[in-house]
Amino acid sequence: MKRFPLAAAALLLALSACSADKGTAGKAAPAQDASPIVTATFGRASGDAGERLFGEKCAFCHVGKSTGAMMLRRRLDESQPAELHKRTDLSADYVKQVVRVGMNNMPYFNRVELPDDQLDAIAAYLARNSK
Amino acid sequence: MTTLYPRKLSGGAFEQSLKDFRSIVGDQWVLSGEEDRATYIDPYALGDGADHDCSAIIAPASTEEVQAVVRAANRHKVPLWPVGRGKNLGYGGASPAEKGDVILDLSRMNRILEVDEHHAHCLLEPGVGFFDLYYHLQEKKIPLWMSVPGNSWGSVIGNALDRGLGYTPYGDHCEQICGMEVVLPDGDIVRTGMGAQNGSKGWQHYKYGYGPGWDQMFFQSNFGIVTKAGLWLQPEPEMTARIELAFPRFDDAAWAIDILADLRRRDVIQHNIVFGSPVRAASTMSQRADWYEGEGAIPDSVSEEMMKKLGLGWWNAKINLYGHEGIVTAQVALIRKLFEPRLGRRLDFQFWRKGEPLEKSAQGVPTTMGLQCVNWYGGRGGHLSFAPVMPSDGKLALAYAKKIKAYYEEIGQDYYASFTIGRRHINNVSLILYNRDDPAMVARADRLYRHLLAEAASQGFAEYRGHISYMDAVADTFDFGGHALRRLNDKVKACLDPNAILAPGRNGIGSGSGPRAASGTGEAA
Repeated sequence: MKRFPLAAAALLLALSACSADKGTAGKAAPAQDASPIVTATFGRASGDAGERLFGEKCAFCHVGKSTGAMMLRRRLDESQPAELHKRTDLSADYVKQVVRVGMNNMPYFNRVELPDDQLDAIAAYLARNSK
Repeated sequence: MTTLYPRKLSGGAFEQSLKDFRSIVGDQWVLSGEEDRATYIDPYALGDGADHDCSAIIAPASTEEVQAVVRAANRHKVPLWPVGRGKNLGYGGASPAEKGDVILDLSRMNRILEVDEHHAHCLLEPGVGFFDLYYHLQEKKIPLWMSVPGNSWGSVIGNALDRGLGYTPYGDHCEQICGMEVVLPDGDIVRTGMGAQNGSKGWQHYKYGYGPGWDQMFFQSNFGIVTKAGLWLQPEPEMTARIELAFPRFDDAAWAIDILADLRRRDVIQHNIVFGSPVRAASTMSQRADWYEGEGAIPDSVSEEMMKKLGLGWWNAKINLYGHEGIVTAQVALIRKLFEPRLGRRLDFQFWRKGEPLEKSAQGVPTTMGLQCVNWYGGRGGHLSFAPVMPSDGKLALAYAKKIKAYYEEIGQDYYASFTIGRRHINNVSLILYNRDDPAMVARADRLYRHLLAEAASQGFAEYRGHISYMDAVADTFDFGGHALRRLNDKVKACLDPNAILAPGRNGIGSGSGPRAASGTGEAA
């Protein structure tokens, strides 16, 4: 057998384990091991339009134990977190490019489900931590 | 830039139709440029997906706009391919079965029109996604639960119309639909069930109406565009319990499926049960290269290492129980009595009682975690499912599994199977994972699918749901009476949709009908 990431074994346990979180709908900041409920509702109640749209359109794949975060964890070096909203190396233009043309197993988004003005808001939100 | 025209329309005639469509929905909501069309190509296509490219996209915002678009499509003989949100991944995404059709994207029609907490139902537009409905229920603290499919990115109504599945008590999604509003191919509008009465107070309460019930006619078909539908929701239970069972031997499938199917038939277990192989679980949390980099199918010895490391069996089942405390407690005792002696271990259920954090419960929470499996082989991945319906018989399922596993190994594909156990049937899901940019692997996936289709048909089994690339092939296996069902479907199609403007070829209905013979391509200035 080859290498197997410990994180994956931990995921198996996390998926069936309980969390102490309660009333988590719409909360912006998930714990390190965010529950599936946090992933499903991240940012929805945020006052920041960019975060709210990120929660609606992106978070289910990019927050907590999620498919996009898992794929990015494999690809990124340890200096960057796998959850998109915690990244410090994203430019707005890069985000927009990836969203429209896709990357590896991330599907592209069309301009009906995500009009340009909404993408601008999400890109600005994700680029907020970048220098 | 390459432009694609539907059917045999000339460029000028097609441009004229787009002008009409723009006047109905607004310029912003008709997309025909190459970059926009590329964002509608199936991200899991077998290859580059160009064989299912569309010619344009129209995105109406209301039932009235849908009606107007359908009438214009009839005038111009433009075929429309309606999608709720276009996320039917594994079945073609948003792409049309026939190249060049115009996608009618209903994702802007995304209103949750009503949630009736007392009677546990809602009324939705087709653009409402599983995450949207889940958040709505959470935010408003409405104690109703929903069923979610493995990929919850898509439309609640769209998934039900394609007879999608979840794994909680309301998981047979098409069964939960109660009352629909449908735009017919001529632009007329009809409401089914009790909704056929003006001002009906019972539209989402009773499914059948008076006279024939037409609802099933609009599932997996191209006879109308559903613009609203009622959906029954699950009242929050008093208690839940959940357990994952791992069956260590391949041959355990025979006895385990018989017991589980009996529990399902008697509604001790109130949901369809997933009974899956090791790669099914491993592919949602790891890549193939983590385990094996050799050619051909993963050897059993590697699968057994996988099982040991991940705490899996050759077969793995998730069971959830719901209800009043006395009922759930009795169900737990029965399941322990049936399985503990055979498995030789105590089953530790996880319990949840009303008022406790929902994370402990067996509530359906929307997720896209299942999509992780497309990363199994690396590269841009995809998955294709062949899932014939068969009787819920353990010995039959085991014999079938052995035969299919042997063929996966012969062709060099990792065996990925699950049996979804219903009350009187099982779906034997054979998932085919591939790297869509590896032509040899794509060709192997196609060969495997066609083999599975033929093998199932030879034993009297057939698929329950079809990928756009195989809709005719699957329809061909329903061959009683010299394909009498296809003849009936095509007669209904010709009657309701003489111009064949709604989703020609959907589920094999109306393939090659109407004035269309082939799409044309041209170069636009």
